[in-house]
Amino acid sequence: MKIKSMYLFMFVLALALVAAGCSGDSPSEDSSEPASAEESESAGNGEESAQSGGTLNIAYEAQPNTLDPTVTTAGATKDMARQIYEALLTLNENWEVTPQLAESYEVSENGKIYIFKLRQGIKFHNGDEMTADDVVASMEKWTDNSSLTQSILNGAEWKKVDDYTVELHLEKPSALVPFSLADQNQLAAIMPQEVAESAGPIGATEYIGTGPFKFVEWKQDQYIHFTRFEDYQPVSEPASGLAGEKLALVDDVYWHIVPDESTRNAGLISGQYDVVVGVSYDAIEQIENTQGLSVDIYPYGFQMLVFNKKQGLFSDVKARQAVNYALDKEMVLRSSFGDERFYTLEPSLFRPEQTDWYSDAGKELYNPKDLDKAKQLLEETGYNGEEIIILTSRDYAYQYNAAVATQQLLQEIGINAKLDVYDWGTLLELRSAPEVWDIFFTGWDTSVIPHQYGFLDSKAEWPGWTNSPKIDGLLSDIESAESQEEAKALYAQLQQELWEYLPIINVGTYSKINGISEKVKGFRDFIGPVVWNVSVEE
Amino acid sequence: MRAYILTRLLSLIPVLIIVAVIVFFLIHLTPGDPAAIMLGPQATPEEVERLREQLGLNLPLHEQFFNWFFGLFRGDLGWSISHNKPVLTAFIEHLGPTISLSILAQAISMILAIPLGIIAAKRRGTRVDQTFMVLVMLGMAIPSFLMGLLLMQLFGVKLQWFPVAGYEPLSAGLWDHLKFMILPATALGIIQTAVIARMTRSSMLDVFSANYIKTAYAKGVKESIVVYKHALRNAAIPILTVLGEAFGTLIAGAVVTETVFNLPGIGQLVINAIEKRDYAVIQGTILLAAASYLLVNLIVDLLYGVVDPRVRLSRKS
Repeated sequence: MKIKSMYLFMFVLALALVAAGCSGDSPSEDSSEPASAEESESAGNGEESAQSGGTLNIAYEAQPNTLDPTVTTAGATKDMARQIYEALLTLNENWEVTPQLAESYEVSENGKIYIFKLRQGIKFHNGDEMTADDVVASMEKWTDNSSLTQSILNGAEWKKVDDYTVELHLEKPSALVPFSLADQNQLAAIMPQEVAESAGPIGATEYIGTGPFKFVEWKQDQYIHFTRFEDYQPVSEPASGLAGEKLALVDDVYWHIVPDESTRNAGLISGQYDVVVGVSYDAIEQIENTQGLSVDIYPYGFQMLVFNKKQGLFSDVKARQAVNYALDKEMVLRSSFGDERFYTLEPSLFRPEQTDWYSDAGKELYNPKDLDKAKQLLEETGYNGEEIIILTSRDYAYQYNAAVATQQLLQEIGINAKLDVYDWGTLLELRSAPEVWDIFFTGWDTSVIPHQYGFLDSKAEWPGWTNSPKIDGLLSDIESAESQEEAKALYAQLQQELWEYLPIINVGTYSKINGISEKVKGFRDFIGPVVWNVSVEE
Repeated sequence: MRAYILTRLLSLIPVLIIVAVIVFFLIHLTPGDPAAIMLGPQATPEEVERLREQLGLNLPLHEQFFNWFFGLFRGDLGWSISHNKPVLTAFIEHLGPTISLSILAQAISMILAIPLGIIAAKRRGTRVDQTFMVLVMLGMAIPSFLMGLLLMQLFGVKLQWFPVAGYEPLSAGLWDHLKFMILPATALGIIQTAVIARMTRSSMLDVFSANYIKTAYAKGVKESIVVYKHALRNAAIPILTVLGEAFGTLIAGAVVTETVFNLPGIGQLVINAIEKRDYAVIQGTILLAAASYLLVNLIVDLLYGVVDPRVRLSRKS
């Protein structure tokens, strides 16, 4: 009788398969082949016909929580949102503040009023023109959310003067205002007034800006799709950093969310992706040895050893200095990153190209390597061999490797160092408990002003609990400096103090790596991937 | 029959309540703060505290538990802070790839395993049997992520027959869907093949030694009819049990396979939620996964009746 019943089971399976496919994400309206013929044609007729067209497929490591950059400092949001949004000011290749949506800006004599002249005829992605109302609403939203503005723009007010003029009224003058408006970490994005006003604490849900690409579709855990904004109005100055001419040379940009690194690399090698963001230091050879692929090594930030200054051995500055004398920076960097191409020995929190801030103050204390001096300083602290806990996580291999190297170096001067290894989420929680750790490692990306380095400021209560009235005073002096030259000189003093007080040890600067197909021309990284002025050969 | 199904469904409720309680406290007792993770390593304690307040994470644990628990009875699984939408919505959005992966993997393993098991049983002790079983053990020994990476390197990177990663729903076309699913389903299916083939072999061996099979042979019944009609049918119950259980392991295996092949399924959802300590998503997903596992087992139990009339009879009596 019934072989039927076995078939019945197979039939149910088949049915369920069909149902499963249908229960997936609703069918996307636009075809999975991104660049439609129509779009390519219209692009072909435009002024960029020689290089226009095609799709840029980027494999990226993490999914953002939101694309509204005004509410978060998360890297994934920063990297993707900058295609959609622009700010009044931005940064050129020397990290100097340059107008973007503002045509120009001036400061009143008492330094308390900033007057921004807006560029005219700038269109939002919804077709409306950008006016002062949109700027005021967006800037108020950003001022409420930005962690930077808490001190610099405290009590500030945004005012519309006419349709193309906006004023910022400050309670106290500060030369840092333009930097905070140009900062990329929590972009002061301009969006239409109604979007800015209706956005909740977790950000706008409609992504409308003035940038060269507009938002199309977000498939959770798959990709985020952007397309060229035909009405974009680039400035005519040559491109520099994030400033100057920005052209959308490709029709579509897909950011594929691919958390697994080996999958990203395999996709780059097979040609599925054109660019891979975040190649690990030990995978670089595989990419370099594949024909048709190259790597872009770009400076990212600095690696630092954080001391617990609230309790335990390192609340004594002499113990911190002992570690600084014992710590062979080059050895730690080599253990972390493997190859000299990926790190630089550098005492500054800023990069040499950041001409507004860079200083080499304190360099004599940067890498002194003197074990006898270290032992002597340690002896003066009265250290009697108690266990010193280095908190670390294998989730970031370079931090873990640095911790292992440091453990060895500390043991050489007689410090009984022990590693406590946790997952990243646990480490983030544990580091806020002063009783459980003495040292941890972390990376910090290069910032635009010293005030973004939370480990400097006592008020920030950042793990490690810096408590230096001298550094606090210098930070406050920089904030109220009348000129950038004055601010820069004060920062040099601060950096000297950083190497004496040692809230952290800046081990050195390090780079990150992107993998790029040779089909892609013009791709680079500047505080994140830059996708304009990039073309893809089919 | 209806009463039986109803009783079985009702009996799921206490199990799910226990799962809910355990999952909630297990997750909340794990160190890690969703707010700190969301804001990243550079955030100050003040910023973290502000976000904790906004997310309701500063409430006492028992209050958070009751809010969530009573929400469950209204069908509210909570709000995902990382997706910024209800957990149920996020779950449904991620369901398609996982179901498709599990069913395809199950189908692949059945197509491979049942004939393999039968042939091995029929040729018991011969070289064919030994070779098959060695292959099966090898399949079982290889972890699914390694199998996934090997398949990806060979068919995705070297031969470029299939894309290495990504997903298209069935609505984009059957082939478009399948070309993304074949490698992950194979990676996952091969491991299941091992389990099912072994069970088929030993179950068939039992049946082959039964008297009614000998009688069938003695009557001169054709070999294929003896094997497929007399033997396989009677050997089917233990195979079905393994299939049901295998479905549970498939869901677990899917977590790894989805990560390797970047399928936006439940596995990815859970992994991301754990990394971000998105409590509501972890709780909701585990609860729903437990519920679906229990349901699959119920369906398997009901299928016993379809396959074997004796099960139906005994239930009536």
